[in-house]
Amino acid sequence: MADGLDFESVVARFYEPLYQFAFSLTHTEADACDLTQQTFYVWATKGHQLRDAAKVKTWLFTTLHRQFLESRRRLTRFPHHDLEAMDYELPVITPRLANQLDSAQVLQALARVDEVYQAPVALFYLEDCSYKDIAEILDVPMGTVKSRISRGIGQLQMLLTDDTSPAGRNAKRKT
Amino acid sequence: MTTQQAKEILSAYRPWSADADDPEFAEALSLVRHDAELARWFEEHCEVQSAIRERFKQSAVATGLKEQIISEHNARLKVVWWRQPVSLAAAAVVAVTIGIAALWLRPAPEMPDQINTATYRSRMVGQVLRVYAMTLETNDLNQIRSHLAQQQAPTDFVLPAKLAQTALAGCGVLSWQDKRVSMICFLTGKPLPPGGKSDLFLFVVDRSSLPDAPTGSAPEFNADRRQMVTATWSAGDKTYILATEGDIDSLRKYL
Repeated sequence: MADGLDFESVVARFYEPLYQFAFSLTHTEADACDLTQQTFYVWATKGHQLRDAAKVKTWLFTTLHRQFLESRRRLTRFPHHDLEAMDYELPVITPRLANQLDSAQVLQALARVDEVYQAPVALFYLEDCSYKDIAEILDVPMGTVKSRISRGIGQLQMLLTDDTSPAGRNAKRKT
Repeated sequence: MTTQQAKEILSAYRPWSADADDPEFAEALSLVRHDAELARWFEEHCEVQSAIRERFKQSAVATGLKEQIISEHNARLKVVWWRQPVSLAAAAVVAVTIGIAALWLRPAPEMPDQINTATYRSRMVGQVLRVYAMTLETNDLNQIRSHLAQQQAPTDFVLPAKLAQTALAGCGVLSWQDKRVSMICFLTGKPLPPGGKSDLFLFVVDRSSLPDAPTGSAPEFNADRRQMVTATWSAGDKTYILATEGDIDSLRKYL
């Protein structure tokens, strides 16, 4: 294992952001716990292969994302999105609205963002990962990461605007 | 670069990060300094992104998760440690001394809220949905009991009559709160998913591991949002969970 990193210190340092990332992907506490535990299980069994301690965070997030994709493949296939064909959406939410949101609203909105954008958007907000790190974690080119993040946060903000607008709130009350 | 192009690039800019070092962002940022409309948009963008980030960071982490991860890790280490012959010999010498002292000095274990049947059930189902690892593949129940005994996992389980007639696939050992859980794997006869070796799973754990374990032998059925259904019951000093993919009727026929 990377020098100076014992299991418990790695858990203490990374379990919270990993869980938050897992929750952003799975949207349930039980699944997020499972995914986080599985990630540390993989770390316990294979982490010794990692020589560079600076890479632990990226390694863990990459592993969690792969585990998530693996579990998803067993249940369903990802919907296909033609990225180039989608309309580009500029952010529409105002700072006033953004400051009125609570954590649950934001996470619920993320759950409704197209699946292919959810992981990039979660990493965009949750972690101080560089775009290079995000590209490595998701195993996609940097240009694709930027593109997915732009479209993902555009969708997220559209959903948040809908949810917080009077019409959106009324619609939610009726359902 | 036009104002519109700069907005498109900067929509992925994070004010809390080192994104400004990226040449593409740097070029767009230079335009912000000379374009009043873009500067207003950018200021709002940064405020909105920071507010949303705060909400993400505020999402609560499941209570007891860290302790659960470390506990399961330590339980796995114990199993590995016990398999070493030298360790066994050394342990035999030390155990008597330490064991007596530990009995007197050990503080009462805490029971966090998450140590309950629902969490246990979710963990076991999660194992099935991810990568369940059978450590023995066989259709012989005697071999399964013998293998589980070697792993210090529960072996004195009693299979419901109909389940006992179901084809076996093998077994594995999981962990829950430092306790061994026996996983006995069956085959329903339906086509297995790609890579799958079993599609019906029985988990057996000591009843004392679950403070709210069912008291009776009548199964309690639960449908899991992950398309899994479970039946939970207790008999003797064991608690059982039978899990498969499908609906509750697909479980009843084994009970």
